[in-house]
Amino acid sequence: MSAKKMTVHLKVWRQKNKNDAGHFEDYTVQDISDDMSFLEMLDRLNVNLQKAGKLEVEFESDCREGICGTCSCVINGQPHGPVTGAATCQLYMRQFKDGDTIVIEPWRAKAFPVIRDLVVDRSGLDRIITVGGYTGAKTGPHADANSILVPKENAEKAMDYAACIGCGACVAACPNGSASLFTSAKISHMSLLPQGHPLRQSRVTRMVNQMDKEGFGHCTNIGECQSACPKEIKIDSIAIMRREFFNAAIRS
Amino acid sequence: MKKEYVSSSVFKKFVMGATGLALLGFVITHLLGNLLLYKKDGTAFNDYANKLASLGGLLYAAEIGLLAFFLYHAFTGIRLALMAKEAKPIKYAVKKSKGGESKWGLASNNMIISGSALLLFVVLHVLHFKFGPGINEGYVTALSDGTEVRDLQRHVVEQFKNPLMVVLYVVAMLGLGLHLKHGIWSAFHSLGLTRENNSKTIYCAGGALAAILAVGFLLIPIYLYFFY
Amino acid sequence: MSITLDSRAPSGPIESKWDRYKADMKLVNPANKRKHTVIVVGTGLAGASASASLAEAGYQVKTFCIHDTPRRAHSIAAQGGINAAKNYMNDGDSVYRLFYDTVKGGDYRSREANVYRLAQVSTSIIDQSVAAGVPFAREYSGELANRSFGGTQVSRTFYARGQTGQQLLLGAYQAMMRQVDEKAVELRTRTEMLDLVVINGKARGIITRNLVTGQIERHMADAVVLATGGYGRVFYLSTNAFNSNVSAAWRAHKRGAYFGNPCFTQIHPTCIPVSGEDQSKLTLMSESLRNDGRVWVPKSAADAKKHPNELAEADRDYYLERRYPSFGNLVPRDVASRNAKYVCDEGRGVGSSGLAVYLDFKDAIKRLGDNVIREKYGNLFHMYHEITNEDPYQVPMRMYPAVHYTMGGLWVDYHLQSNIPGLFVLGEANFSDHGANRLGASALMQGLADGYFVIPFTMGNYLAGFKRDEATTESSEFKDAQASAQGRIDHMVALGKKGGKHTTQEIYRSLGKIMWDKVGMERDEAGLKQAISQIQALRQEFESGVKMQVPEDLGRSQALEVAMRVEDLLELGELMAKDALERKESCGGHFRAESQTEDGEAKRDDENFSHVSAWEYKGDVSKSVLHKESLTFEYVKPTQRSYK
Repeated sequence: MSAKKMTVHLKVWRQKNKNDAGHFEDYTVQDISDDMSFLEMLDRLNVNLQKAGKLEVEFESDCREGICGTCSCVINGQPHGPVTGAATCQLYMRQFKDGDTIVIEPWRAKAFPVIRDLVVDRSGLDRIITVGGYTGAKTGPHADANSILVPKENAEKAMDYAACIGCGACVAACPNGSASLFTSAKISHMSLLPQGHPLRQSRVTRMVNQMDKEGFGHCTNIGECQSACPKEIKIDSIAIMRREFFNAAIRS
Repeated sequence: MKKEYVSSSVFKKFVMGATGLALLGFVITHLLGNLLLYKKDGTAFNDYANKLASLGGLLYAAEIGLLAFFLYHAFTGIRLALMAKEAKPIKYAVKKSKGGESKWGLASNNMIISGSALLLFVVLHVLHFKFGPGINEGYVTALSDGTEVRDLQRHVVEQFKNPLMVVLYVVAMLGLGLHLKHGIWSAFHSLGLTRENNSKTIYCAGGALAAILAVGFLLIPIYLYFFY
Repeated sequence: MSITLDSRAPSGPIESKWDRYKADMKLVNPANKRKHTVIVVGTGLAGASASASLAEAGYQVKTFCIHDTPRRAHSIAAQGGINAAKNYMNDGDSVYRLFYDTVKGGDYRSREANVYRLAQVSTSIIDQSVAAGVPFAREYSGELANRSFGGTQVSRTFYARGQTGQQLLLGAYQAMMRQVDEKAVELRTRTEMLDLVVINGKARGIITRNLVTGQIERHMADAVVLATGGYGRVFYLSTNAFNSNVSAAWRAHKRGAYFGNPCFTQIHPTCIPVSGEDQSKLTLMSESLRNDGRVWVPKSAADAKKHPNELAEADRDYYLERRYPSFGNLVPRDVASRNAKYVCDEGRGVGSSGLAVYLDFKDAIKRLGDNVIREKYGNLFHMYHEITNEDPYQVPMRMYPAVHYTMGGLWVDYHLQSNIPGLFVLGEANFSDHGANRLGASALMQGLADGYFVIPFTMGNYLAGFKRDEATTESSEFKDAQASAQGRIDHMVALGKKGGKHTTQEIYRSLGKIMWDKVGMERDEAGLKQAISQIQALRQEFESGVKMQVPEDLGRSQALEVAMRVEDLLELGELMAKDALERKESCGGHFRAESQTEDGEAKRDDENFSHVSAWEYKGDVSKSVLHKESLTFEYVKPTQRSYK
């Protein structure tokens, strides 16, 4: 249980703003204990930088328990670092060895312009939801919740897809910068529930088109997204999205 | 169909999948035909080749169809590759797959390269054999009923006595194998034909078929070089 | 001068108050609704549902969120579930029982009328959420599943695995994004509210800062809704997310909104213990774990450092089961938390810090089997394993209480309107429904009740009587507020230029330590007085300069954001201590060592403290004035809580 101390060398991407070319800077952080989280290690780096009169490395995090989807970073070439089924905030320094060099880069995709350092603009994902990621039910009173039964299996599967935290790791991992896993997860969630059926066709059509419009790439079925997804959402959802799309196309 | 469907990336991938599977069908029949080359006397292969040639208009129609599929596949593939490049303009300084069920690898990462190589190869291959020397150049053989036809088998055998040619074809077929290793699964997935319970099977079966096709093709030049 | 606050709750029997309200309220002509603009700050459950509902009702809504996307709001982290009086389990639940449990659980420091309304609309929330596609857990019959949660004796908690908050938030977020698509909601992300603009006594707008460009902007509306969450991060270490801060509410407070019951904070009993000095965040483990896990520490302090699996049954003290035979491990949060503190104070705490108790699943695994436990808690066990590197299937979990929720917040009346007309406060940001202690799975319920089912009506009632004046964003009030916001930023930059001994982060951590030690689970007069002077000293240190670098463009800067929030938290912390000092009784999450029963339970003083404390800011926290709203209990008669 006792924590081990370690030193790590960092190569961190620094970029002033969207238009800046950006570059790597090297830092060394000493006296890290292996039960610190990766982000706490970055916190320490920032305290050190502040004390040295330098600007902090800008990165994002919020809940630090793997559910809000705010944290990002490609760590040694892997979105959210080496652990599968986890976000960066759930990465602990015990995954690294004393003396390791860690390369930290922002999510890279045309649709995710860098705001500063490791912070990128992921609002494109919001705009995909805006055009159809909902059942369309009005707010306010509705028929009793048990008036439409949903087979347990469907509810469970819908939940598998609904678990998406919108972090964008799928886009970051994809060699084409595709948001197909993100988009299809919502489409799959909605297609599995009867409540999602009224808007079925317009949903998939609009969301797919918005995805293209935002500058996300297409899916070449490699599945890097699935491996990087902190919620382990399966690319079967992408096949569901395509079926929904062809179905909508035929009926249009 | 409305433009909002046809112009989408999902539809483009549908095109890739559908034309890809059609081309796969052609590749399978091509290999079956080529297996006749193993017969040393040459009549079986020449019979087959000339029977195809005798189809006349029908063959032209089929060839035009095949060419159309091929070009559509190649054209869409190049367009998609350019789009992908645009969507990911900056590559990571370090990139490592997280493993799992990812299909990340030589085959999946280089579809445009294996595809472009195949495009080039197909042009050479067609010039080489389809438009290669025929009756006028003295490559004549007699069918079982006595009619004189082009002796394609002789041309093929002669060509593969050249080790450079053998290497070229073997490499090309390895490229085909790579392209299909990812391509077959990818086509099924792009067409929305995979399900949670069959996607692993489809991926494995696709890989196996790719290997069979590549090995099936590339053994022919090797066989002709060493044992014919 | 202290005044007595009016809750403006309708008269009559409690069952019909809300119906009466809706029958009597004024309506805005549908053609006029579009002419009204409403600002909503915050996009958690309350803010997102309010934005969606108000937009659907026909108002022009401008919604602001501090995150890069509304879906990140901290409601997303709620694990366990949402209560509703559906009585699907046919186990005797009813609106009245949910009302009763909530008032009692809140230790008789909430407003009956509000709580009853909350229980009433709880059922509609479930209907609405299912219609919005929330994938709640279901039975094989296809009906919704329920579980018992956090010390209630009926099963009324709906859940979506361990991600109920996430799913409900996404439901509300999606409903709001549909209104963004309809152009009924204008959404601004990465925008922080810096000030409230009050014109002619009415809330008329806000000043914001764009967290990317640093640009300061004025936004005007006919009413302002704050749904900006709680202030648990005043303790530095808490289960709250980094962006959960008090700034928006605090700025409204400084502009005149009363702050209700600031000392009422909830300490959640089951969190992963602190492991080191650099720890930035505590992780909550759902309370549902207490349904099957048994809490214990070694009987003897000498055994505290031994490996738990080496300790025989006879050497273990299942202290909750021993002290509370009828509720056992399911006692309310405050009771469970305080008892954990006591056993650790006795030196029987476990783990390297000695600040932890065991939560043991050995018996449950034996009784139900590995698979059942895995199905029920698999994700939580996995999460625990990831964080601590210990496998809870083999070794008992280590748990310690952590700050989790704040019942206090801006004072609101029955309309959810603060004492500033036109300023409405929803969700955790207001003080209203949970009294001195919140029941498990009730936060989600309140957030959505406020946003979906209350504000659409009370806002209409307000706007129907609203008369627009000459004010514009060029009015002096807007200009002054903008100038003061700009002044604060300049001030922060100057503090950084001045330099100091510590970074903001270090000052923040010191504040957290003072709060946790002296304004935490147990409070006493001496400690609170000490806390006040220590916080004042800390504020002085902060105001004399810090180690901080801010980028020249004053755009995106964590350092600047944190500094501005810490400045507010330093004031709030003092107010909390002041409020805790003033409330010389124990109730719910507020435990004054001086006021306890012989059994060591919280002892209320209904004669002197059956009121809401609402503080008015007077230029400095030390000068803040206390106003009271007296609480009367017509239906649920106050009794000494007992979970024996």
